[in-house]
Amino acid sequence: MNKNITLALAGNPNCGKTTIFNNLTGAHQKVGNWPGVTVEKKEGKLKYNDYDLTIVDLPGTYSLTPFSIEEITARDFVINERPDIVINIIDASNLERSLFLAIQILELGRPVIFVLNMADVAEAKGVQINEKKLSQLLGLPVVFTIGNKNKGTDLLVETAINEINRFEKGKESRPIKYSQKIETCISKVETALIESGVNMEGSCRWNAVKILEDDKVVKARLRKISDASAGIIFQAALECRKKIQNLFDDDFEMVLTDDRYGVIAGIVKETVTNLARKRIDMSRNIDLVLTDRLFGIPVFIFFIWAMFQLTFSLGAYPMGWIENAVSLLAVNLEKILPPSLLKDLLINGVIAGIGSVIIFLPNILILFFCIALFEDTGYMARAAFLMDRVMHTAGLHGKSFIPMLMGFGCNVPAIMATRTLESRKDRILTILMTPFMSCSARLPVYIVLAGSFFADKAGTVIFSLYFMGIIIAILSGRFLRRVLFKGEEEAPFIMELPPYRIPMFKSLMIHMWDRGKMFLKKMGGVILVGSIIIWGLSNFPRQISYSEDYQKKIDSVKYEYAQKTASATNQEIKALNLQLALILTEINNKQEQERIAGSYIGRMGKALEPFFLPIGIGWQPSVALVSGFVAKEVVVSTMGVLYGVGNEGGEALEKALKKSGMTSLSALSIMVFVLLYVPCFATVMTIYREVSAGWAAFNLIYTTMVAWGMSFLVYRTGILLGAN
Amino acid sequence: MINTHEHEKKQFKRLFQQQGIDRFDSRLLVLEAFLKLELHVTISDLVEQLEKDGILLEKEFVLSSMELLYRFGFATKIEFEDKETQYEHRHLGLHHDHMVCTKCGMILEFKDEAIEKQQLIVAEAYGFHMLQHKMEIYGICSNCLKDRSPLVPLHKAKKGEKLIVKELEAGKNMQLRISSMGLKIGDLIEIVSSGFGGQVVIANGENRMVLGKGMAEKIMVQLFDPAVEKIRGIDKDPVDLPLDTLLLSRMKSGQEGIVRKVSGEGILRRRLLEMGINRGTAIYVEKYAPLKDPIEIVVKGYHMSLRVEEASNILVENVGFRNRRNE
Repeated sequence: MNKNITLALAGNPNCGKTTIFNNLTGAHQKVGNWPGVTVEKKEGKLKYNDYDLTIVDLPGTYSLTPFSIEEITARDFVINERPDIVINIIDASNLERSLFLAIQILELGRPVIFVLNMADVAEAKGVQINEKKLSQLLGLPVVFTIGNKNKGTDLLVETAINEINRFEKGKESRPIKYSQKIETCISKVETALIESGVNMEGSCRWNAVKILEDDKVVKARLRKISDASAGIIFQAALECRKKIQNLFDDDFEMVLTDDRYGVIAGIVKETVTNLARKRIDMSRNIDLVLTDRLFGIPVFIFFIWAMFQLTFSLGAYPMGWIENAVSLLAVNLEKILPPSLLKDLLINGVIAGIGSVIIFLPNILILFFCIALFEDTGYMARAAFLMDRVMHTAGLHGKSFIPMLMGFGCNVPAIMATRTLESRKDRILTILMTPFMSCSARLPVYIVLAGSFFADKAGTVIFSLYFMGIIIAILSGRFLRRVLFKGEEEAPFIMELPPYRIPMFKSLMIHMWDRGKMFLKKMGGVILVGSIIIWGLSNFPRQISYSEDYQKKIDSVKYEYAQKTASATNQEIKALNLQLALILTEINNKQEQERIAGSYIGRMGKALEPFFLPIGIGWQPSVALVSGFVAKEVVVSTMGVLYGVGNEGGEALEKALKKSGMTSLSALSIMVFVLLYVPCFATVMTIYREVSAGWAAFNLIYTTMVAWGMSFLVYRTGILLGAN
Repeated sequence: MINTHEHEKKQFKRLFQQQGIDRFDSRLLVLEAFLKLELHVTISDLVEQLEKDGILLEKEFVLSSMELLYRFGFATKIEFEDKETQYEHRHLGLHHDHMVCTKCGMILEFKDEAIEKQQLIVAEAYGFHMLQHKMEIYGICSNCLKDRSPLVPLHKAKKGEKLIVKELEAGKNMQLRISSMGLKIGDLIEIVSSGFGGQVVIANGENRMVLGKGMAEKIMVQLFDPAVEKIRGIDKDPVDLPLDTLLLSRMKSGQEGIVRKVSGEGILRRRLLEMGINRGTAIYVEKYAPLKDPIEIVVKGYHMSLRVEEASNILVENVGFRNRRNE
């Protein structure tokens, strides 16, 4: 039987952790969430000799303080799940800062090996690290790797397994020694802990240090186990803290931080040789252009434009193929299956529903490919750097720009992308603002309506709508921050600007596919259910009292033409058949129109008419808007049905709309409403999954209110100005 | 209050012009100088005062002017045998007392009937017949008071005020006790609450301290005025600092220095420290973002960005431009 071993990968963000993870596990990855928190958990499997390895990618952090979910998650995993070994990946070209986390990981008391990644970059920088000395000083194995060339991966696994065996044979990790004064404090609290007999997860020393650091999570845990001994231990810690405070005129945490850096400085001095070979700093040269005072922003806008061109223009081809494939399937099923309610459900409910999700897959894949490209090259941090000032005016973090931007593609992945934000508040705010970014599903609605009513000015109108969405989002951000998060501390915008790197194709593909899979899995189910519901709503009740007997009418028309063809020449027959087909479609459309109007969804739309009337929206668009809750592109097809042109849309619908007597002002009002109202069902579900049901409900109500208010404003202003 | 000096000047103009006296303007200057000096004045004193004001006049001219002033009743003469003649003001019918600001030299004239009456009563009680009197109150005028926030004992400070500890008026034991609590001269503190039997709760950095009335009375504090501190380029640190010590937020791109102090609260401070900005770290300002915020800096060999507002928590010393330093 093979032996099961768990390896935990830890390290700073941008240290190449993901690359090593990909090297180790290849495509055998499982992406999910850490239990209880919405921090991404990546797991992979690997077979090595007689071992079955499970590799867990811990969240990338700079420290293990209890201030962010990621950091708590990482250290809790190491302490509670006790992985067999922690593989600490260190950016060799950035040793000093990396060691700050490394020392804290060492303190957790589990077996650790150091992996000095990007050894080539360090060498190019003229940094030489004496790994033997480092290994000696800290009492653990040190391995060099070059992640993007997949060098040293095998050595890493081998060293890890050897180290685990060594620990099994009785090796113990060597603690980091701090200055005398700090050590006295630590041993005092440690003694108090041991005397109290409390059994806590993690080593005694680590818990002692954390209690001294006033770590709220650890303290709460201790209090839960034993309130009485917690009191005694905290008293001891408090005395120590006071003593340090008096001695150094600073908090214990700060003194310890300084001490840690002191230890690190010692290690660096012992092990690193800086060769005075100054190389041109490529990254800095690139930044001379990319974050330049003049060129920075234009170049950024160009990249964003290119990304959207790629996503939507290039994405249009595979979208077409998928569309064709889906309709081919539907047509064939139509032919094969006998007519029944089930068949209708299958074709118009299930296949149409899934088709409507799958069609966005190319967009999502390309978009996430671009985003992965931005992230892996290091440009994403620059984007946040450039845009922070702008986002800050909306009360957000520079990193919020990316999710907001993605909102133009699809709100669902955009909301998923808010995971890059550290503070919960920033995240909720961004999530609430993102739906105002006009997603691509809203575009078909604009195209039909603006195309019909604004002709050559359609482009301007659509652009203004996008712009309006941005403005509303910014205003909302400011407003919500004031109202909902009054007086809360803002998350600091302290962010590394990693050196530019050439991305690895493999890693880009993995990242892209991860997101695509997530999108399909999450949305597939939701949309399927939604489609079936909407299908039910629009197909029931089955019995509708029509204004006239359409079947009878069809029969009589058919009979009439049958008589006509009987007495006609061959050429006339062709013309007559064409005429007949036209008349029959018209009758069918009329019947369909009445059927929809009589269905539950039609009744809902009509019931909502008083709500929509003040903003100049008639009952047909009302029904369409209600059905648009499933997905906004449904608005167009529903309108098609309701205006009696079938669900084809296109030019026929444009004509029908013009004929229907809808004014251009009403059309504008509809477009504004579509821009701002409840994002689709899938978005609401995503918000529910990422935050909570409460916030999802809040978003639903809030967006609808804003949409109604703005449409009202636009419509009424228009009327006052005398437009019609 | 009647401005008697203005009144005197007006009369002077009228009289001298009536009499057709020569060099009117210069003589007016002499009068002004004379009115400025409040005690007994000799001619040499006057010449000196005029010189101070940047006016050069011959002694003879000043003397003749003073004689004219004497003749027209603007001045009285006091002559002693072995001394230079002294002149003093003679205000007809009008009398006033003076308040003199020792800081800016401003003279305030005032008249208080109660004092005037009281003087007569006192003089009479001593069997003294009063002919003249002169009263001057020395002190600090209201304007100067505004500039200088006075020291107050801590227990008189109000809730929410930010204060700087200036003096400890305590005995050795008390001083030791206070400093063992971690409070020292130059600390910036905030009053959390006060009043419960003279007890004061203060916040010193991230620490709360409770001081009894007895202790609070001995700690002299001054109101912390952020506006004044800003001018000095130090928002958070009230201690006097050399010129090359600046907040990171005030450094220009291309400048470098050594971190001297990291202040700020909670998450922000921890984050700054764990990202490698601690005491003694070399910091280099790479550039500001196109919209002037945030800042890109280089620390411990890597680039990072932070907002200007956040950078104002970092005090940097030995600030200078990198190129200049290398040369």
